[in-house]
Amino acid sequence: MNTLCKSLALGMAIAVSTVAANANEPMNDLEIAHTAYTAGGLDIRYAHLALAISESDAVREFAQTMIRDHSAVNDAAVALITKLDVTPQDNALSQALVEGAAAKRAELMTLSGKAFDCAYATNELGYHQIVNKTVAESFIPAVTVEPLKNLLEEALVTFRAHEKHAEHMVAGLKCAG
Amino acid sequence: MRGLTPITRRRFGQGLGAAIALTEAAGRTRAHAGTHEVAVRIDDFTFMPSKIEILVGDSVTWENGDVAPHTATALDRTWDAGPLERGAHGRVTFTEPGEHRYLCAFHPHMQGSVLVRHRDGG
Ligand SMILES: [Cu+2]
Repeated sequence: MNTLCKSLALGMAIAVSTVAANANEPMNDLEIAHTAYTAGGLDIRYAHLALAISESDAVREFAQTMIRDHSAVNDAAVALITKLDVTPQDNALSQALVEGAAAKRAELMTLSGKAFDCAYATNELGYHQIVNKTVAESFIPAVTVEPLKNLLEEALVTFRAHEKHAEHMVAGLKCAG
Repeated sequence: MRGLTPITRRRFGQGLGAAIALTEAAGRTRAHAGTHEVAVRIDDFTFMPSKIEILVGDSVTWENGDVAPHTATALDRTWDAGPLERGAHGRVTFTEPGEHRYLCAFHPHMQGSVLVRHRDGG
């Protein structure tokens, strides 16, 4: 489980740092918007998988909160891009996230019971950690449009609450060992 | 304990001046007669103020300023002001004295309390 989680976090970290290291092509506002929206949508897909498989109240309540909150953030993002009349741009980081999440979902779908709960919970913790680090250290400093920066800052508050919630979920499931 | 009384943004706006005045007085027991409404803001996943003190018959109105929906739900589930989307309000009138602890049912680390005192100062 830990290995899976670390490999996902590592894969995402590499994707993020590869993009970040390419100073010739820093992500623009529209790419950042696309990736932030994509990351939220992927977490919603993980949550639907959890609701289909898990029988743990703690896991199911967490998953419902992920759907509720990421939907609210993404709805706010749609409202903003509609108001600004712009189209988010697909990019290498969004594609890496989509591929990584597809592989992770395939792994999760082979599991059930406590094995699934622990794999989902540790993945949620790792996912929010790396997304939050990316939003805080890469996206918010880089973004130039003020309303988009405001939305990312507000999203970060939400995602950090999720990270804390995921820590409690992992601890409560007693997965280690 | 009476349940949630949903109020509209317009009605809330009419009482806003009073609510602001009461927010400034939050934490102190008011000696004068009549029931009041105390406002609690929800911003950045925090109830503000997280602890309030009111008298029997007073109401508390929670307003959510976050993009994420929240609730204010009694730990014993006897009352629930929510779910509240951004900009929404939920009101609960407290008729039982004592400390009423609550949390957000969606984000359980968010917690607060309402201390309800008797009108005679007890
Ligand atoms: Cu909440």
